[in-house]
Amino acid sequence: MSSILTGGEPFLFPGGRTGCLLLHGFTASPQEVRELGRQLASRGYTALGPRLYGHATQPRDILRARWMDWLGSAADGYHWLRGACDRVVVLGVSLGGVLAFHLAAEFEAAGVVGMGTPFAIPRDPRLRLLRLASPVVRFVPKGPPDWRDPSAAKTRVDYRVYPVAGLAEVEKAILAMRQRLAEVHCPVLLMHSLEDTFVPPENMQAICQALPAGDRQMISIRHSNHVLPLDASRDQVFEAAAGFVARVAP
Amino acid sequence: MIMSGAEPFYFPGGRTGCLLIHGFTGTPKEMRSLGEHLAREGHTVLGVRLFAHATRVEDMLRARWKDWLASSEDGLHLLANTCDRIVVIGLSMGGVLALLLAAQHPVAGVVALSTPYHSPDPRLRLRPLAGLLTLVWRFAPKGPADWRDPTVAADHLEYPLAPVRGGVELHDILAELRLRLPAVTCPALVLHSRGDLNVKGESAEAIAAHLGSSDKKLVWVENSGHVVTRDAERERVFDEVSSFVRRLTPSSA
Repeated sequence: MSSILTGGEPFLFPGGRTGCLLLHGFTASPQEVRELGRQLASRGYTALGPRLYGHATQPRDILRARWMDWLGSAADGYHWLRGACDRVVVLGVSLGGVLAFHLAAEFEAAGVVGMGTPFAIPRDPRLRLLRLASPVVRFVPKGPPDWRDPSAAKTRVDYRVYPVAGLAEVEKAILAMRQRLAEVHCPVLLMHSLEDTFVPPENMQAICQALPAGDRQMISIRHSNHVLPLDASRDQVFEAAAGFVARVAP
Repeated sequence: MIMSGAEPFYFPGGRTGCLLIHGFTGTPKEMRSLGEHLAREGHTVLGVRLFAHATRVEDMLRARWKDWLASSEDGLHLLANTCDRIVVIGLSMGGVLALLLAAQHPVAGVVALSTPYHSPDPRLRLRPLAGLLTLVWRFAPKGPADWRDPTVAADHLEYPLAPVRGGVELHDILAELRLRLPAVTCPALVLHSRGDLNVKGESAEAIAAHLGSSDKKLVWVENSGHVVTRDAERERVFDEVSSFVRRLTPSSA
C-alpha cells in the first residue's frame, strides 16, 4: 500500500558531480520527466525528479495546494542535488519550467531548460467563469489526449481531471515568474512545439524577450504536442537537453 | 521559501540508505547532525522536509497527515535506486511516519526516537467537533521547553506555535499508528529520554510492546529533552543509531 500513484514516484539516479533537476508539470507526475532523467543519467549526470506537492496522490490534494508549495517541492530537489553535485541544471516541463525559472532566480544554477513553458495563461473567457464557479465546480475533466504518439499518452501517470483551484495557482506562479525572469543570468534553453495546442509556441518568444541578454537558445519542435519529453519527438528533446547540459556544465 | 538552515539534505554513500524524518513543526535541521554522523559511517543519507514544514506556520493549516506520509514515501523512492537496503529513522512524529513506512514497505530496519503512541490531547476524544473548531482556533502555544543543552536550543529551528489543525492530524495519525504497529516486523530500535516533557516515556514502552518485530530494543537516555538528536546526549544517540544500522549492513558492504 502506497499513497503515491504507481509509476508516479519521484526518482534519483546517481551519477557525477553535475546534477539535473527535473520538474514535472501541473496534474502530471515525475513519470513525465523520468525517461529524460534516465537519458541524462546514462550520460553520467546525477538526475533527480521530485514530486510536486499534491501530485501523484489524489486530485483533491491539489485543492489544498498553493503555488509556493510547488516551488518548495522543487527547492527540496535542488537542495538534495546540491548534496551530491557541484552544479545543477534545472529542467522543467510546463509549470515545471515556470518553477525552474523561479529556482534559477533564487539559487545558483548552471542552466535552465524550459519545455513548453507558459508565459501567459490562455486568454479563454471560460477559464474566468470556471474560477468564479470553483467553490462549486471543483474539477473539470481533461479532454481526450491530443498526442502525436498515442502510445505514450496511454502510459502517462497523471490526474484525469483539472482541479479548478489549482489553475488559479498556476496563473499566480506564472505572474510571479515574470517578475523574476530579469534575474535569470545563467544559460537558458527553451524548447516548444509549434504544434502545442495547450500552450501556444508564442510563449517561448515572450519568455526569451523577458530574459536579460545572455546565452539563450530557442528550439522549435514539430510532431509533438505539449508534453515534449514523452510525445513523438522526445528523442530530439533528449538530445537537445543533453547537449545543453554538456555545454553549460562540463 | 524554505527557512535558511532547515533545508532537506542528501549525502551520497554506500549501499545502505538512511532515511531521516523530522517531527511535527520541526525541520530537517533536527536530523542533520545525525545524518552527517551516519554519512561519516559510510551510509547514504537523505533527510526529507515534511509538507508545510520549514516555510510558514500558516501552511500547516492546510496539511493533512497523509501529506506527511507522502513526503516520507518520497524519501524511500529517492533512495531506492541507490541503495540495497533502507533504514528509516524518525524523531517524534517522524518516528510515527517511520513506523508507518515500515508497516507498508520492505525496509531493513526502523528507528523511533521520542515517538508518541497516545493522542497529544485527551480533549481530542471530541474528534468529530475538532475539525470545525480548527476553523476558528488556529494556533496554540507550545508546551514548556525541555532542553538540557542551551547552546543547541539557541539555534534550533521550528515553528513557535502549534497549529491546532495539526494537533487533530497528530491525533489521527496516532490512531493509524496503533492500528499498524503490529504489522511492523523488521528490526526496530525505540529510544526515549526520561527527561522528555513533551512525549512521556510510557509511549516508548507501548510502542515496544505493540511492535510486531521479534528483533526490537528499547533504549533510554536520561539527561535530554524531547529533541534527543540535538540535546545533551546526542553523541550517545548517534552511537546507538549507527550501531543499529551497522548491524543491519552486511560486513562486505
